[in-house]
Amino acid sequence: MTSQILGGVTLAYLIAGLLFLAALLWSAPRVKSFALGLLGGALAAHTLAFFARWVASYDQAAAVAPPADYWAWLQLVIHQVPLSNYYESLVFFSWCLACLTLFFLHRYAETFLGVVGGLLASLTLAYASLGVDSSIKPLMPALKSNWLLIHVITCFLGYAAFGLAFGAGLLYLIQALTSRPKTPGPPLMDRLIYRAAVIGFIFLTLGILTGAVWAETAWGRYWSWDPKETASLITWFIYAALLHARLVRGWQGRPIAWLAVVGFAAVLFTYLGVSFLLPGLHSYLN
Amino acid sequence: MTQAPSSTSLPGRLWRTLTSLRLTLVLLIILALVSLVGTVRVQVFDTAWFLVPLGLFVLNLTACLIRGLPRAVRRSRQRLTPAAALELPERARFSWPESLNPHPGVEKALHRELGPVQKSNEDDRLVYFWERGRFRPLGPYVVHLSLLVILTGALLGKFLGVQGSLSLNEGEVSQNFVSAGKEKPLDFKARLDDFQALYYPNGAPREFRSDLIFIKPGQAPQQAVCRVNDPVTFGGFTFYQSSYGHTVGLEVKNGDNSLILEAPVGRTVELPGGRAHFRVLEYRPDLVMPGEQGGPGKRLGPAARLAYWEDSNHHPWIIVLLKNRPELADQQPGPYRFFLKDAKFFSVLQVKRDPGVWWVYAGFILLLPGFYLAFLRPTERWALVLRRKPSGGWDARLLGAAPRAREAFQDRLQRLQAILPKGGPA
Repeated sequence: MTSQILGGVTLAYLIAGLLFLAALLWSAPRVKSFALGLLGGALAAHTLAFFARWVASYDQAAAVAPPADYWAWLQLVIHQVPLSNYYESLVFFSWCLACLTLFFLHRYAETFLGVVGGLLASLTLAYASLGVDSSIKPLMPALKSNWLLIHVITCFLGYAAFGLAFGAGLLYLIQALTSRPKTPGPPLMDRLIYRAAVIGFIFLTLGILTGAVWAETAWGRYWSWDPKETASLITWFIYAALLHARLVRGWQGRPIAWLAVVGFAAVLFTYLGVSFLLPGLHSYLN
Repeated sequence: MTQAPSSTSLPGRLWRTLTSLRLTLVLLIILALVSLVGTVRVQVFDTAWFLVPLGLFVLNLTACLIRGLPRAVRRSRQRLTPAAALELPERARFSWPESLNPHPGVEKALHRELGPVQKSNEDDRLVYFWERGRFRPLGPYVVHLSLLVILTGALLGKFLGVQGSLSLNEGEVSQNFVSAGKEKPLDFKARLDDFQALYYPNGAPREFRSDLIFIKPGQAPQQAVCRVNDPVTFGGFTFYQSSYGHTVGLEVKNGDNSLILEAPVGRTVELPGGRAHFRVLEYRPDLVMPGEQGGPGKRLGPAARLAYWEDSNHHPWIIVLLKNRPELADQQPGPYRFFLKDAKFFSVLQVKRDPGVWWVYAGFILLLPGFYLAFLRPTERWALVLRRKPSGGWDARLLGAAPRAREAFQDRLQRLQAILPKGGPA
């Protein structure tokens, strides 16, 4: 069931992204509002699929160990949030991308954001459904914690915001090369990069903090130089540099766009590189 | 007041370097690069390659804090006064005819757009003024202060904290734990009553739990359950479930001499005389061998595999012990005969005391208002100045500034420009 819905959502994100592109190229406001509706509808279906998987995940766990009372039930519900393996993380990453795209579109009404966000969300979801094991696995002891929920949500909202900053940065750099008209003027794009980077930085910091508190309660060390921790710290350094360059030195335009691109490379290294190349608590292997 | 060091003297130049943003950016990049190496070589975080830039980073943060904090405090203590409001840059100008009394409409419009506004009479002018985000200048300093607090906690933990591990067999009592290769005493006793490893139907681990009892002289013994993700604190130390294994009970015979030994899986045990050693490599509570042609498996009962060697130059022999087949011991090499008797769990607990943790947490909490002030609370100031025209009617000037929130400012300016000349909302 869930996978069929997500298949439809993938397609809807793709079409919405392409419609935004069409609306951008031919400045067609009606196409744009249709694309906006499609993106919103797909996000709603995506949310539904997320909760459906949550229910399925809960049912599977409750069959093994039925909760005794209300608190045990609540505990099990929180623990079984579908954010515990690579597939689930990709689905949620895509959800965050679509969600933040809608948020930014609401604030800035810039069509190219829809192109970037829709295509990135669709791509992520397509990769999740085609290339990754999607079965629901029982939860291993290390992940049975109330911190899982808040830690993963904050981290992925951060990643998604950095993804949008990257998209805007890339467009800025391409535009600076070709100087095509019709796309929004560089000053606006520059502000968008900064805005998205700020949101990403706040959420990444919250993600690192919640992770540290979790590690302290689970393993007695709030920081143990696990490869994922180190990589997230590198990412944090890069975006801290971006924000300082911008806020204190007043850097704008191309250097900031480059930093947003480099920063997202660090995000990808944190998310995928570390998980697959290096062993550790955060590895998605086995 | 202290005199700022002059910019040409050596201390002056040093101070400027320490407070410069260029240093911050260079240090952030160096720290990022060293950390990149650290993803593969964790040891790098204990070397000068990491600690020197980190120390400079702390100096840089502190210097910036000393330089900028007093000014930020001063600025955030200055409320917007009517006189200061009149100095804001002008954004729009309009007037109303004699027939219209603008005051009620204007107040309503400003209240709707900005919330409660203040009002003041200055000479012949009436000034409405409003501000938000007065404390914004403090934001970055609160963030930097919280980073220093976190690093202080890390230092305290490194130098005053204790970390070690405690390995207990089921039923065993201990008053010591091992830290950095040395035994350290606890001022209480810890006993492992029971250890359980639970599994899902597919064989994946579900839960590991140690049932502990802490005994302190003069106090009632206290029971506690320690699980992964669910540590136990007693007597100033925190215990974390970190590992487990089996301890195998063996009878070792050499001729007429018989010896009962307990051997944890994976640990080398020396036999009396000092020449022969063995190590239990693996223990299975119930060894199942495949049945013939896919039939039901054959259950052989408890089994252990051990390595036995007589002196370190020799290759070890691998010996398999089956509890239910003691007669197989005759095939064992060497003078010793090993018999498998029983087995129980041992549990490894991480033991920790870290006085820096509360500093770290305090830093985390301080970071939140810092971020709120720095990023989500930009300073914004508005003023509307009304002056009676000599010819009757009113002149109005709209003033305002929001250097860090230009978009929101422009949007608001447009809305106010649309509504104010009409004398307020319809």
